Parts: sequence; C-alpha cells; structure tokens
Amino acid sequence: MNTALFAQLVTLSSSVVLLFGITLLWRRSLTAYIDAFRWQSLVLSVLFVLIGYYSNDPELYLVAVFFFALKVIVLPIYLRRLQARVKVVNEIEPYINIATSLILAGLLVLLAYAVTRPLVAVSTLPTRGGLPLAMGLIFVGLLVVVTRKKALTQIVGFLVMENGIALLAALGTYGVPFIIELGVFLDVLMGFLVMQVFVYHIYGTFESIDVNQLSELKH
Amino acid sequence: MGYVLEIAQVALALALAPGLVGLIRWLKARLQNRRGAPPWQPYFELTKLFQKEVVMSNNASWLFRFAPYLIFASTVAVVFLMPLLASPLPFDAIGDLLVVVYLLLLGTFFLALAGLDPGTAFGGMGASREMTVAAIAEPTIALAIFGLALGAGSTNLGRIVTETLADPGVVISPGHLLAFAALFIVTLAETGRLPVDNPATHLELTMIHEAMILEYSGRYLALIEWAAWLKLTIFFTLLANLFLPWGVATTLAPGDLLIAIGALVLKLAALGVVVAIVETRVAKLRLFRVPELLSVSFVLALLAVTSSFLLK
Repeated sequence: MNTALFAQLVTLSSSVVLLFGITLLWRRSLTAYIDAFRWQSLVLSVLFVLIGYYSNDPELYLVAVFFFALKVIVLPIYLRRLQARVKVVNEIEPYINIATSLILAGLLVLLAYAVTRPLVAVSTLPTRGGLPLAMGLIFVGLLVVVTRKKALTQIVGFLVMENGIALLAALGTYGVPFIIELGVFLDVLMGFLVMQVFVYHIYGTFESIDVNQLSELKH
Repeated sequence: MGYVLEIAQVALALALAPGLVGLIRWLKARLQNRRGAPPWQPYFELTKLFQKEVVMSNNASWLFRFAPYLIFASTVAVVFLMPLLASPLPFDAIGDLLVVVYLLLLGTFFLALAGLDPGTAFGGMGASREMTVAAIAEPTIALAIFGLALGAGSTNLGRIVTETLADPGVVISPGHLLAFAALFIVTLAETGRLPVDNPATHLELTMIHEAMILEYSGRYLALIEWAAWLKLTIFFTLLANLFLPWGVATTLAPGDLLIAIGALVLKLAALGVVVAIVETRVAKLRLFRVPELLSVSFVLALLAVTSSFLLK
C-alpha cells in the first residue's frame, strides 16, 4: 500500500471515529449512545488492522481482535443490560444544552489541533494527520463525562475517552507492545465493572441514576 | 460562446427544477406504498398557476407584489454564477461563493418580509421560523464551501471545480467529507425538506416555508414555487459538482457539454433518490431541536475548515 493512500485512509478513519464521539453530544437516547460507541469501536478496530497491515506488525491484528471482542461485543451487551435494569431511556437535560455543547466540541477540536501542533511537527509518521483528531476525541469524551447527568452516559463518555487514548497510542507509535495493550484492556473491563456496581448501588439507593442527586445528603 | 452557454445553463436549470421536485415526490410516494402523481406533475402545476387569477389581501402592500419577482430573480442570478455544466465561465469574474450565499439569503429575506406583510398569524410564524433557520444555516453554507475553497486556493466556485478535477485524491480527504455532510444537512434545512420542514402539507402548525406563502396565489405563487424548486436544484448542483466534479466540461466542445448535461441529470437524480429515502426514513424534528441539528452541521463545517486548513 502506498504511503500517501495510507495517510489519507488513516486521517479519514480517525475523522469518522471523532465524528462518532461528537454524535454522543447530539443524541439523547441511551440506546443511541451505546450504538455510537459500538460503531466507533468498530471503525477503530478496522484502523488497527490497517495500521498493522501497513507496518507489517501481526501483533496489531491480535490487538484488533481483542479490541473488537471487548468493545464491539462485550461492553455494549453489558451496557444494554445495565440500561434495561435501571430503566433509563433518555439523557433529559444535560448541564449544558446540546447546541452549546456541540459548539464547545468544535472549539475543543480546535484546541486539540493547537496542542498537538509541536507533536505533529516533529513526527515523520504517515499517521500524524490523525493525532489532533485523537486528542480531540479525548477532549470530547471528557466533555461528555463532565456535562452529562446520568451515570450511564458518563460511563459511555469515559469509554469514548479511552477509545481516544487507544487511537492516540496507535497513531503515535503504531501501537504499544501487546502486553501493555492487554493490561489496558483488563483495566478498562475492571473499571467498567466497578462503575457498573456503582450504578446499581446508586440506583438501589436513589431509584434514579441522576448524579445530581448525589450532592444532597437527604432525599 | 461562453455567454450563450450561461444563458443555456440557466434555461436548463429552470427546465429541470420542476422535474427534480416531481421525481422526489413520485419516489417518496412509491416508497410509502402510494401511487403518487407522475414526476412531470409540477410542470402542469406551474402552467395552471400562471393562468390563474391573483387574489390578494386588502392589507397587502406593494412589497407583497414585488417580493415574488425579486425572489425569482435572485435565485436565477445564482444559477448564472454556478458551474452547472462547464467550469471556466465568463461570469465567474462577477461573483464567488460569498455572492452566491448572499443572493440566496436575499431571496430568503424578502420571502420572510412577504410572509409578514399581509399580517396573518401563519405568515408571521413562518417568517420568524425561517429566519431562525437561516441565521444558522447561511454561515454553515459559507463555512462548508470555505473548507473546499481553502484546498483550491480560491473562493471562486468554478476554480474549486477545476482544482478538484486536477487533484481527484482530495475528494476522500476528511475536509471534503465533513463539508459534504454539513452542506447536505443545510440543504435539507434551507430547501424545506423533511427533518426540518414538511414540504407536503399546508396543514401543519409547525410548517415553515408553506406558512409564509399561504397568502399567495396565481402567478405570484407560481414564481415563488418555481424559485423554491430552483433553489433545491442549486443546492443539489453545489453538492454534486463541488464534491464530485466528474462530468463537468472543462472545454466548450459540444461532445463534452453533452456529457456534462448527462452527468448533471444523473447526479441530480441520484441526489433526489437519496433525499427521497432520507425523507421516508426520518420523522420531522420538533421545532426546538432544529437549531441543534443545524449546530451539528455548523460544527461539521467548522471541523472541515480546520482540517483542510491545518492538514494542507
């Protein structure tokens, strides 16, 4: 595969990944959140295969397979189950309204371009075009975590942020060693399970997963 | 020769516009299991409306009579500036994308004024809604095309087409794709298509375009409708020729021009099919969610400009 085409494809799929991140900010229903996360992870695993193919690194195929199994199959199923159990359908009113948070997301991506400028300038990899987009995705994920009220949407925001970090690692270094990648996957899974337990407890105590209510002592 | 071509392309756009709308309506009807009027029905509608008598409210001022001509004229003027069939055109020197955007906005502005003029409740509602939509949609159009202009190094629509033809790889760059998505959403909003406005009914409280033209009849209505259909054709041509410029003639040879006409009709029909499918699949948005949809497209356009500026 020639380098120019590879660079083009990498930038393209990084943009698609970022777009799915921004989709979160525009949708309200939790089902849409989970779907967006799933599609984003799917594109990411394709990107891993692409990078593995270009850099002739079979380890990346393995990473892609694990990534696919964890983030496209296992986590969405658990999220669905969680959603069914706590019976939340919509993120009714986030702290910041949707139009503003979309524009904020645009500005955050601009900021990401500004911060990654030195990084892009010193890098000679063909994947450098996607670095600002990966950084932008991390910011957007953080924005979702900070501005959304439901514990479940915050979890999806966290997972999206994690996807951003994975994307940054893949683009910046053609993927970290497999053993570290495995550790990260395990951490994500553990973190998710812990958060799941938290959500059940919050739901059990407050009969709602609106984190707003956590700031009140009595209810 | 170039000037003849300019006149010819305007005539072609005027002739194709009703057919395009008819095609979308017919396809939509088919997709919804209705038989539907044939695609050439809008031509009959136009002829009939031009023959009908004009009924006007006693409260209407000169503005009400003047607006249809201005709306029609400003929309036709846009077609002169567009690379419809061939790309280096003599009128390219007169106006670039900013002129196109503001000519379109001029038509929208007078349509809203005309909606307010007779003082009916529906007209006022429609006008205020149209302005809400236009206020976010117009900068998005400019921004989305700016994304392309940055790549081509010129805000001239014809230049953008020739530059893209010279370097076809740019078509799958993220800037282009984001700008396409942004412009597609704006097309649906500006031409009153489904997630924003329902073009098929006069009976909805949430209508936008239909509410403004409710008081018009006869030849005035014909002109306004024709201008609206022409606007749809303009937006489709922008989407087709700026983003996928293949088929646009770069010389004035008759063979190339014939190919260009064929390619244009095909591209418009393909976009018509896409819009018909979209309109069948989505439900109308609540009015308060429309600005959210438009800010999605604004952010897409902003990202398009950023990526084509920084990845140059």
